[in-house]
Formats: sequence, structure tokens, C-alpha cells
Amino acid sequence: MAHRVDNEYDYLFKIVLIGDSGVGKSNILSRFTRNEFCLESKSTIGVEFATRTLQVEGKTIKAQIWDTAGQERYRAITSAYYRGAVGALLVYDITKKLSFENINRWLSELRNHADSNIVIMMVGNKSDLNHLRSVQEEEGQALAEKEGLSFLETSALEALNVEKAFQTILSDIHQIISKKALAAQEAAGSGPPTQGTTINVADSSGNMKKGCCST
Amino acid sequence: MKPALGPKEWRSLFTPEGKFYDGGVKLLKRVRNGGVEPSIRAEVWPFLLGVYSLNSSEAEREAIKAHNRKGYLLLRKHCLRKNNKESVDDHITSEEENPCVILEQEMQDKTGKAIPENQADESLCSSSSRDEDESEKSDVTDVEASRDDVASVDQSSVEDEEESMPLPKYSNTGGNIETETKLSKIARPVKSARTVEDFETWQRIIRLDAVRANNEWVSYSPSQAAVTREKAIESASAVCLKDYEHLEAHRIHHASRLVAILEAYATYDPEIGYCQGMSDLLAPLLAVLEEDDEAFWCFAGFMRKARHNFRLDEVGIRRQLNMVSKIIKTKDFHLYRHLEMLEAADCFFVYRMVVVMFRRELTFEQTLSLWEAMWAHQAARRAGITRSSWRKLQLGAPPTDDLLLYAIAASVLEKRKLIIESYSSMDEIIRDCNSMAGQLDIWKLLDDAHDLVVTVQDRIE
Repeated sequence: MAHRVDNEYDYLFKIVLIGDSGVGKSNILSRFTRNEFCLESKSTIGVEFATRTLQVEGKTIKAQIWDTAGQERYRAITSAYYRGAVGALLVYDITKKLSFENINRWLSELRNHADSNIVIMMVGNKSDLNHLRSVQEEEGQALAEKEGLSFLETSALEALNVEKAFQTILSDIHQIISKKALAAQEAAGSGPPTQGTTINVADSSGNMKKGCCST
Repeated sequence: MKPALGPKEWRSLFTPEGKFYDGGVKLLKRVRNGGVEPSIRAEVWPFLLGVYSLNSSEAEREAIKAHNRKGYLLLRKHCLRKNNKESVDDHITSEEENPCVILEQEMQDKTGKAIPENQADESLCSSSSRDEDESEKSDVTDVEASRDDVASVDQSSVEDEEESMPLPKYSNTGGNIETETKLSKIARPVKSARTVEDFETWQRIIRLDAVRANNEWVSYSPSQAAVTREKAIESASAVCLKDYEHLEAHRIHHASRLVAILEAYATYDPEIGYCQGMSDLLAPLLAVLEEDDEAFWCFAGFMRKARHNFRLDEVGIRRQLNMVSKIIKTKDFHLYRHLEMLEAADCFFVYRMVVVMFRRELTFEQTLSLWEAMWAHQAARRAGITRSSWRKLQLGAPPTDDLLLYAIAASVLEKRKLIIESYSSMDEIIRDCNSMAGQLDIWKLLDDAHDLVVTVQDRIE
């Protein structure tokens, strides 16, 4: 049905934003896609998403980011949307110890419902509230290392490290895919490079820009 | 759109004893077609939401009101005890600093005769799987002891058995249990090891949602908008609300009311507890109903139907999405086939509209009009107003419990051309549905929904 159009983007990557209620997932998303922040943003019901196209390592990447509800109750619907995700930002609030302690639960949630190759980045948000901090940066770093995840502290309010977090995860994903494509190419001997299995997202999610064909 | 029901006409509907002349049929008809004027909403809504029966007299309503008030206070008291317990557990607040301990005592003073709590505890424990009372006994501290003293004083002061009243509990009478049991069999068994949420979790999320509630209700309730900071802080400490320093007085007050009522509801209906989205349903009620106890019982009436959306097993929400899908399939097979092709025939893209009943898509005023129409339908069903008597009033569409779902289907059908011609993935439909805010004409939507009820209801329900 839909095919990838090279002049629009090279890859479409689906990323999910997960973590406890109130850690700032929706504001990370709005900061990244619209450069907006809203103190009174409402709770996310089910899932919402936004996209942004950006350059990563010389490639045009369209990031399709799915923002999910944090409450346990919504887990069944939100986990259905892990399918096809190539990356996950797992967010906690540096002022809320509990949200950090729950990281392990979220990791097992991903292991149970997401693609086993999913690239995960751990994000400690609200770094602007340093005076209320209850999770030290070193603790976050240590857990991330133990679990083999990349890690950053961000502040969606001050627009600190949000861009960098997405750049990091997108380039990690891109590198993995490039390697896979290369491996596939070598395995197939000569011939045109094929896309690795991980990016079937790019094939199935369509390419039509909103508005380009409507009306 | 017909004019809204106004105060003069509203008063003319009652006999001198305060009963409706016609059992409320005209009321429901008027509300269904034109809504209610803001000045009388607080009087009308308790009828729409089943707090008062449509056959009740004024005297009966007074009695119910007094009884309900007492029941609400009991629920609040129960919540305060839990708050105290948590403070003890957290070792954060010492006895003398804990505002809730003091408040609990004040509350007893104010209500005069306190209500025995041991009975309330028993009724809670019987339906609750939690073993908190066990743990409570194991960590008796000074605060615990002082609280026990208070409780024993209560008991001795209320020897009179007639004064006692069990803690109000949600109980299901009627509803669509059968359909839901059937449905649960086809729902996918993904429950796995999901943990059950506890009251403490609910309290935390309730507060989180309360302090981020916006203030679009302000122009509907000037008196609440003008609340003093002193009063606001008082109401915040009454529910142990913190983290509100950044808010204006009226928003602190509003947040405190949200906490009070949502906590009371979680106690009243522990099977549902609190689920994000419920604060969206309560906030408009608070703007209209200035007394917490009245707001609580109206909310409980609203939740009788809405609670199914928030069930842990997701059976209620699946039934509803299924029904939206069926309405679309019956009305517009071509569109349905297209949705199937996009793997969107399950209608998950209207999830949010179903859960918070268009609250995120409509303005405050539009939401109230839609909900009033929906409540009028549900009240007509409760009162057993039949299709034929409704028809005699030249109302084409018979009463339905699911007007909301017809309205949601109508909003999707309205976009059929765009969906069929331009959308090639479910993502695009989700984005479209999530950005409908401000684009909907509520009265046209209601007309379309009523038309749908007329044309497809027989094949759906």
C-alpha cells in the first residue's frame, strides 16, 4: 500500500515514552516536537502521539513518538502500542523515588510486550527541581549501566537535554539498523542493500504526510 | 437547537408537594433537546443523575439529602483515618503536626454526634482484599493510640443504635452484567502478573491529577473563583494536600475538592478505586455543585454507568468500543471496510472519547450540554419511560443508555470522506481524533447521534 518516499525521510522510527504517572512524559514529548511546555498538562488517557523529522548522522529520520498513560490500569492498552517500537524512553522523576524504584517493573513490561531488540534509554526528568531531588544522578547512572541502557537527566521545563536524549536514542537505533543492513547485505552477497527486519515499521506505518493528499 | 430549560419553566413542572406533574417526562424531553440553563443546573442535575427519583416529593428529597450528607461525611472520615495511618507509616508527620488528626476531631465536633466507625470498618474489610487492618494493629504508635482513644469516645457517645449507619458502598443493581460476562470471554487474557493498585496509589495519583486540573470552570462559578487564600489552604489541609504552592487560591480550593470527593469515591467503590480520567468527569460537576456532599452523590450517580470504563479488566471499555464499531459497520459498511483495511475496525482510536466522554474534545459548556442530553436519556431508561411514550412527545429517537457511543460514531462518520480518501494508517486516525478539540458542533453532533439511534438501534442493542 504505502511506500517509503526517500525525499521525505530515510527512516521512520517508532519510539514509546513510558514511566509512572506524573513524571513528565507528555511534556518531554511536547518539548521535543513543538518546543512547548505546560505545567497543567492533563493526564494522558490511553495513548497519544506526535512526530518530528530530524537529521541524525546525515540521515533524515522521522521520529513517531507514542506517549502513554502512566497508571497501571491503562497498561493493557498502552502495552499494545509497544508493537513495532524500535526505541523506548523510560522516564522517572528525580524528585520521586517511587518512580525510580518502579523502573524495574517498566523494564519487565517492555521485555514482555516489546520487540526484544528494542533500544531503551532511561531518562531522569525534572532536573530543574534539584532542591527536591530524591534520586541522585549517580544512582540513575548505576542502574542504567547495570541494565545496559543509555542514560540522561533532562528538564522538559528548561528544555535541558531533551533534544540530546532523542538524538542519542535515534542515533543508537540508526547504528544498529545500519549494521544489520550491512550484515544482511554481506550475507546476501552482492545486490542492493535491504532494510533490516527491525525497520519494518518504516514500511508499514505509511509515508503520507498529513495534508499532502487530502481534500 | 431548542432553548435551554429555564428557571420559570422548571418551577412550573412541579406540584405544590414538589412532585413532577408528569413523572418527569417533560423535564427529560426538554433537557434532551436543549440542555439546562446554568442558574438551575445545581437543582436539575440530581434528578438527571438519579440522586433523587423522578417520583420523589420535596419532603422525601430532604430526607435523602440529609442521609446522603451523613454518608458522605462517613466516607470522608474513613479517608482521613487512612491519611493518618499513612503519615504514621511514612514517619513524616508527627502527631502534633498532623493537620488531619486535628481536622478529624474538628469534624466530629462540628457534626455533633459522631458516627461509629467500627461498623464502617467491618463493611469495608468484607469487600476489600487488603489486609491493612492487620498491619495497622502490628504497628501501634502514639498516634495510633490517640486515634483509638478518639474512636472509643465516639462509641461511648453514640450508644443510640439508631444513630449508626454503615459506610456507604457501591452496589450494582441492574446494569449490563450479562453482556459483560459474555464479553469477558472474548477479551484477550493478558492480565498476567499485573499488580492490583492499592488505596495509597490512588491517593497519590488523585493528588497528582488534582493539582494539575485547569481552571476553565472559573467563569461558571464566580463564588468558587473568589475563594480566599486562607479558605483554600484550609480546604487543602483538610485533605492533606501538599505541593500546591504554585497555584492560585481558587485552584487550590478546586484541587482540594477533587481530592476529597475522589478519595471518598475510591472508598465507596473500591473495585474501581481511582483511575486517571475520573477527575475529568468530576471537575465540571464541582463547578456547578458547590457542596461537596451533593457533588459526591451526583458523581456517584454519573459513575454508575461510567465506572465500567475504568474497570481493571477492561471489559467495559471493550464493550463500548465494540459497540461504536458495530454502529459504524451497520451504518456505513464502506467506511467500516476501510477501517478494517487499516486495522482500525476495533475503534481503539476513539478510546479517549469513550473514557472521558468527549471531555478532552469539547469546551466546558459543550461538554455539559452533551452530558445533560446523555443523562436525560439514561434517566428516561431508569424511569422505564418507554419508546412509545417518548414517541408521543414527538421524539424520534427512543431513550438509550449509550447516547455517547452514538455521538462518537457520528463524529467518526462525519469524517468518512477524509478517512477513506486520505488516511492510510490507523495512526492518522488517532491523531485526527486526538486533535478534534474545538472543531465539533455539539448540537449537530447530538442531532446526528439521535438520527443514528433511530436508524440503527434495533440492529445494535
